[in-house]
Amino acid sequence: MSASNLHGLVAYYADVDSLLAAVRRVREAGYQRFDAHSPFPVHGIDPVMGIRPTVLPWLVLGAGLTGCAGALLMQWWTNGHDYAFLISGKPLFGLPAAIPVTFELIILLSAFMTFFGMLALNTLPLLSNPLLRTAGFGRVTADRFAISIEAADACFESHATRELLAGTGALSVEACESDESSAVVPKWIKQLTMIGAAIALIPPALIAMERYGTRTTPRIHVITDMDFQSKAKAQSASLLFEDGRAMRRPVEGTLAVGEWIEDEYRATGKVAGQLGTGFPYEIDRAVMERGRQRFDIYCGVCHGLDGLGRGPIAVRAESLEESAWVPPTNLHDERLLTVPEGHLFEVITNGVRNMPAYAAQLSVDDRWAVVAYLRALQRSRNASIEDVPTDQQRNFK
Amino acid sequence: MSAHHHVSAPERTRVTPSGLAGRGRLATLFGAALCVLAVVLGFVQEEGMARLQHGWLLAVTFFVTLGLGGLFFVLVQYLVRAGWSVVVRRLAEHLAGSLPLMGLLLLPVVIPTLFGNGQLYHWADPHELAESHLLQEKAPYLNGWFLLVRVAIYVGVWTLLVRAFNRRSLAQDDTGDPSMTIWMQKRAAPSVLAFALTLTFFAFDMLMSLSYEWFSTIFGVYVFAGSAVALFATLVLLALRFEGRGELRGIVTTEHYHDLGKLLFAFVFFWGYIAFSQFMLIWYGDIPEETVWFQQRWVGSWKYVSLLLLFGHFLLPFVGLLSRHVKRNRSLLASWAVLLLLMHLVDLYWLIMPTLSPEGASIGLIDFACLSGVGGLFLGGLWRRIDGKPLVPLRDPRLGESLAFQNL
Ligand code: HEC
Repeated sequence: MSASNLHGLVAYYADVDSLLAAVRRVREAGYQRFDAHSPFPVHGIDPVMGIRPTVLPWLVLGAGLTGCAGALLMQWWTNGHDYAFLISGKPLFGLPAAIPVTFELIILLSAFMTFFGMLALNTLPLLSNPLLRTAGFGRVTADRFAISIEAADACFESHATRELLAGTGALSVEACESDESSAVVPKWIKQLTMIGAAIALIPPALIAMERYGTRTTPRIHVITDMDFQSKAKAQSASLLFEDGRAMRRPVEGTLAVGEWIEDEYRATGKVAGQLGTGFPYEIDRAVMERGRQRFDIYCGVCHGLDGLGRGPIAVRAESLEESAWVPPTNLHDERLLTVPEGHLFEVITNGVRNMPAYAAQLSVDDRWAVVAYLRALQRSRNASIEDVPTDQQRNFK
Repeated sequence: MSAHHHVSAPERTRVTPSGLAGRGRLATLFGAALCVLAVVLGFVQEEGMARLQHGWLLAVTFFVTLGLGGLFFVLVQYLVRAGWSVVVRRLAEHLAGSLPLMGLLLLPVVIPTLFGNGQLYHWADPHELAESHLLQEKAPYLNGWFLLVRVAIYVGVWTLLVRAFNRRSLAQDDTGDPSMTIWMQKRAAPSVLAFALTLTFFAFDMLMSLSYEWFSTIFGVYVFAGSAVALFATLVLLALRFEGRGELRGIVTTEHYHDLGKLLFAFVFFWGYIAFSQFMLIWYGDIPEETVWFQQRWVGSWKYVSLLLLFGHFLLPFVGLLSRHVKRNRSLLASWAVLLLLMHLVDLYWLIMPTLSPEGASIGLIDFACLSGVGGLFLGGLWRRIDGKPLVPLRDPRLGESLAFQNL
């Protein structure tokens, strides 16, 4: 055997005491790249071998602290800062509520660091070790103790090292050859891996098709998120109440906080039961802007942003040639220019003929704001140049 | 090295403390005198009777939980067939041995409820009963006679368990009969079940019912966690005491302290975990009938007691006991043990006293008298039980394993 393919030497011992004595001798002789092997953990062997206490605990502590800081930061950022969302009146970022996630993340990162750190510090996984190919080494998992010295050690010298080991009371000393077999992964493993990977792609592909493709039947719901909840929804029936309705009316004679409006005209658009004119409160620019915004959201879809009755829904309905479709009224209609403001308020509140009511979407004051904007819109079609501020008049020449 | 050093177990471990009986008698006398003093103070001081009952409950539950901790330790060693712990198990057995007497000392707070005295347990007050619909609904459970029966059952079960285990352990010292160990291992599982149930309901009855409108299902676990912390702290201190006296020198080693330290650390965290679980669910639910209990412990100076617990019973010892070097250092470990034992007292104080002085924490002479009085009786019993008996279960089949025990 030439020295070049010698991996090292292995010496075998019968018991722990001779192993420890031998380890001492080997270390005193100046060897560094050696290892001791035993069927069970040997207490106190680390200092004898010169193995220093592991840094792993510090790494784990660091991972734990990272988990702690990361979890707190993440929860503060998501709940308290980036997307502030009030949940049952709790503080946006409440420490007690953040503790469970923090705790879990500390544990998770610490556990990962313990496990993977242990592997990394031990340079594992190690797929092959030349020692495993030596004849006597198998007994180290049963009833033998061993010391292996690597040929790569600076002090290693085939003969002298063998003498040293033999002199430590070893039962036998065995040479361990380097593993010269090719380290290239065999072709069939590569091929199998590729086939396996291709097969593994099928389920996610099927799932993606199922989830993102268009289809005519209801989708398979694997993860239902919160799509199906056993809760009462608006307009649904409920066995819980005598009248069978899930939606409850307020107790008779009661109003929700802030719902009560003293002024009859402001609340109903009527004075002593008759539709009234004018506005119940002062209309300023802010109200007008609010009105424009609400109008564009809630009215424009049908009546069009300009009020001419050609909103996107109307256009689409016409293109479908829906026979039952009643076109939205042109809001610049002669009649509507002169109806009292109360009438417009009333139309929004309760709907009219084929137009639905918007009381649920628009608060009382928003309705007035829409009325005000509607008036401005109508005026814009019948305005004279004098209505334009003087400094902007030349834009219309 | 361990497995190969055969230790001649019996000779080295034949240690029998002596000279403790006299000291025990002294402690008992001293304790009894202080108990009498506490009662006298209770009669003369203004509002003394209410204080006396609260102080007495605090003192007795403190030592009962120590005993329960000891019983828990003994049972679990047999349950999991532990080897490392044999050298300290006898100490835990002696601690558990205090349960019959300490259980009996619960009577002074149970009996007044029979006569409609609601100074400690408001539910026992007939006026309260007449006015509270909730209490009327709970009355079939919360009434003096049924409480008496239940406490008798708890103390009865503890006494039976203590006798069953301690006797066999001691008998084994003479006979060396391993079937004793096997007998106890077989009984350990059902015994732990009985232990858990009695401890839980003991905590409900004696501590939780102080605020009878309030309820928390985790409460028993909370009290258990505190008891375990107190037990491991006490075990460390007792082992050090007898190492100092010489009996356990060379028997209880750094390795055993390391393990006791690990368990102390683990239960410190367990206590914090349970305490927080209880707190967070109540905080999150935000239901007045539940939050009121924590609200009461956040009023005035109670707030500082609550914070003291958070830091002293949980955060500081958690950090302090984290390192293995601390657990292997006798004096550091002892300092944390003393602190945690104190904190266990504060914990019980925090559970019991807010019903006495809702406006803020207060301490009276009576509290000290009760604590040292019951403490004297406890110590007296403990020393006398230890005296003249082998301090190490010298023929336990796992003693060799325990003596040679090493942490990796
Ligand atoms: C879903 C489509 C739709 C929306 C949205 C809609 N309308 Fe109408 N609106 C109609 C239709 C259709 C009519 C004609 C109803 C009829 O004649 O049966 C109508 C009629 C009207 C009239 C005339 C009432 C009358 O006196 O004849 C007014 C004024 C009016 N809408 C205002 C509004 C305002 C303000 C909004 C926004 C809050 C709004 N509409 C939103 C469809 C809509």
